[in-house]
Amino acid sequence: MPQPTTDLWPRLRDLLPLAERPVRYLNHEFGSVYRTPEDDPADTSFVMVYPDTYELGQANQAIRILVNCVNAQPGMYAERAYLPAAEFADQMREAGLPLFSLESCAPLREFDAIGITLPHELAATNVLEVLDLAGLALRAEDRAEADPIVLGGGPCAFNPEPYSAFFDAICIGEGEEAMPEMVACIGAGRAAGKTRQEILEDLADIPGTYVPGFYRVLPDEEAAAWGYRVKPVNGHALPEIQKRVFEGFAQSPAWEPCIVPFADLVHDRLSVEILRGCTRGCRFCQAGMMYRPVRERSADNIVEGALEGLKQTGYDEVSLTSLSTTDHSQIKEILERMNAAVAGKGIQISIPSQRLDSFGVDMAALVAGEKRGGLTFAPEAGTQRLRDVINKNVTEEDVFSSITAAFREGWRRCKLYFMIGLPTETDDDIRGIASLVTRVYEAAREVTPPDQRGRVRVSVSLSLFVPKAGTPFQWDGQIAPEEALRRVNLLRHSIKFRAIDVNWHDPATSFVEAVMSRGGRECCDVIEGAFKRGARMDAWTEHFRPEAWRAAAEEAGVDAEALAQRTFDLAEVLPWQHISSGVHLSYLRLEHKRAFKEQTTPDCSFGTCTGCGLCPDYGIDVETQEVRVG
Amino acid sequence: MAKRTMPVPAVRYERDANGGELLYRLRFRYCEKGRLAMLSHLEVAHYLERVVRRAELPFAITNGFSPHMRISFGGALPVGVGGTCEIFDLLLYRDVSPEEALGAVRAASVPDLLPYACERIDRRAKAASVAYPKSTYEVVFDRPVASLAVPEAVEVVRKKKTRVLAPADFLVEPPAFAGDTMTLKLVSKDTGSLRPDVLVRAMTAGADVRVASITRTALAE
Repeated sequence: MPQPTTDLWPRLRDLLPLAERPVRYLNHEFGSVYRTPEDDPADTSFVMVYPDTYELGQANQAIRILVNCVNAQPGMYAERAYLPAAEFADQMREAGLPLFSLESCAPLREFDAIGITLPHELAATNVLEVLDLAGLALRAEDRAEADPIVLGGGPCAFNPEPYSAFFDAICIGEGEEAMPEMVACIGAGRAAGKTRQEILEDLADIPGTYVPGFYRVLPDEEAAAWGYRVKPVNGHALPEIQKRVFEGFAQSPAWEPCIVPFADLVHDRLSVEILRGCTRGCRFCQAGMMYRPVRERSADNIVEGALEGLKQTGYDEVSLTSLSTTDHSQIKEILERMNAAVAGKGIQISIPSQRLDSFGVDMAALVAGEKRGGLTFAPEAGTQRLRDVINKNVTEEDVFSSITAAFREGWRRCKLYFMIGLPTETDDDIRGIASLVTRVYEAAREVTPPDQRGRVRVSVSLSLFVPKAGTPFQWDGQIAPEEALRRVNLLRHSIKFRAIDVNWHDPATSFVEAVMSRGGRECCDVIEGAFKRGARMDAWTEHFRPEAWRAAAEEAGVDAEALAQRTFDLAEVLPWQHISSGVHLSYLRLEHKRAFKEQTTPDCSFGTCTGCGLCPDYGIDVETQEVRVG
Repeated sequence: MAKRTMPVPAVRYERDANGGELLYRLRFRYCEKGRLAMLSHLEVAHYLERVVRRAELPFAITNGFSPHMRISFGGALPVGVGGTCEIFDLLLYRDVSPEEALGAVRAASVPDLLPYACERIDRRAKAASVAYPKSTYEVVFDRPVASLAVPEAVEVVRKKKTRVLAPADFLVEPPAFAGDTMTLKLVSKDTGSLRPDVLVRAMTAGADVRVASITRTALAE
């Protein structure tokens, strides 16, 4: 297929005065990679799309990583694309301007392949907005031979079924190696004159690639006998898709070239991924299951990479990112070396989350300088019983020691994350949150000098439990939105201090998340129906339209309440059972049983193997730089 | 409670005879053109700070809890208005020749926001934002325009508040027309300024003409 040649810039330029923030669409940022006349016109063209606005997508590490990986390979290149803001999308439609890539301002439709990441469940309708604005058929089966191959991936791919109708192929797991392989496969297929069907068959041969069109959904009885909800109808499709693991992560350079935007972003700083995976084993956490095993980059690699990144980008803040940064076995050395290297340069080092113990606070203090904003902790549950159920291996003593240490160190605000609606939760657990938070507040005041006690603030942030595919709680239903609000109000009325404020997520959005998280292929109709009723940008409060979702579910004959709220039997064949994160189903079942017995499971990166099954299957192991202590 | 030690700054500023910090001030001129004229002043300021960091110039930082670069910017350009003579000032703790500094920032810049001149200026010279209150703008239309009337009053809405400004108070001289180009000279005052795009919009209201570009081409005291 010829490379994109249409330059939409002249048409876009005329529309920009109507845009709320033109900077979203300008391109030309420092660090952007462009095609040159010397590049081979036969190179395979790929565009990586984040299904939300530039401010959110530009900071996304997956986009950065995958664009870099494709650009690093000969014979292919990658560009970026983001959704325009809703109002500007309407202006584009009215003007007949299709969705474009940033670098060459070319229509997405002219690329060989389009990759769309699935960052969270509320991005579902935005996937359709991308396809629709690009001028492509929403459903893969309706696409023409010459249309780009639409690839998916990301966290939500671990239950790809609600999105299965819209993607030609979906990458399960980490894309560093898989995505260039997929783009190469598409390029080779196009060059050889293969049909779309033949190219999809080649894609299905790539490990970790799911081609939804090559499967049929089985009726209940047949599914029970087969062991999966879907069955291959093409010889290239496997019964079960194993996720991809990037085994070279720990040795790969911590400095990954990035684009420095003009716009003020959600995370406008240099991100350096210091480790991947977290095996603390929280039973609600999907990331903890799907990014296993733990792989740490070395302190030398991280410090050199971060300093090189600061030099190359000019950022004045660097975030050492991961699922559990303070768990890195060399974190103290890393932070001390970073501090020494950036002293006097006005550069801030940040770590995204604090461990709930005094070590976590010590690490936060190391990088905080004299500016003490707020610290964030996630006890997740208010009682020890419920923390044991969810395997949050944190005691009340940990909570108090870390928070009093933080206030002793000079912090005056802290934010505590809790989940409500967790399996087995009762009103006592809700009141337990109130009790814990109240005692935390009192303890914080106690260790704060009397003249500063008026500044002590504790913020409670509540989210509603969303059962996620591939976790030990995948079988457990979500509580109804009305019940969630009742529990929120119970908590609010149980808190007596005005210095403690309670914030909560809208349960209606969490309900849609649960439906998308646990639904099967029938949800494709729901997403399409909701989109056609105007649902898009569902993660934006001002755009969320619950009535569109309700009407779409009704029209599709889908019992959304049952999908979100029903507790599945452990023996039931789940819609996503053919997608494996490497963690054995038997382990998930065992963890589920242990949860209900209030038994905890230790973190294998600190001690011995807990038997999730991933490492022996892949022939790999946990990769820490030193022995973890904690 | 253990007392934490303060991080030791890596840089100790030289001192002058009076004990003051010995700092060196450079003024850069840059252009803002093409599609990057659509950037806001804040976005450009943000960008320039990062250019200076990438250039690895020995920039001074403020003291206090939230240290930041000692950089200051010229008068803001509205979104959509480009410039060929924009300025920013930078304080350095070590003397660097203007040529060397310019080379370093150019290497760290993107083509449409490119510094092209640099000079040493006195530390006590007027701030970049007030040094040049008079601006010359070139407005290019999509066709030749012989003349356009200047309205007596222009309504300006800012932060939901409406103000009525008299363009005559801000025009240094009457607009000049040549072919498809109009030259506007505006002065900004302590009490406020009249944006060129707002004035042009008022002047072209109802006229069968489209604005192709507005560019600030000169600054004057």
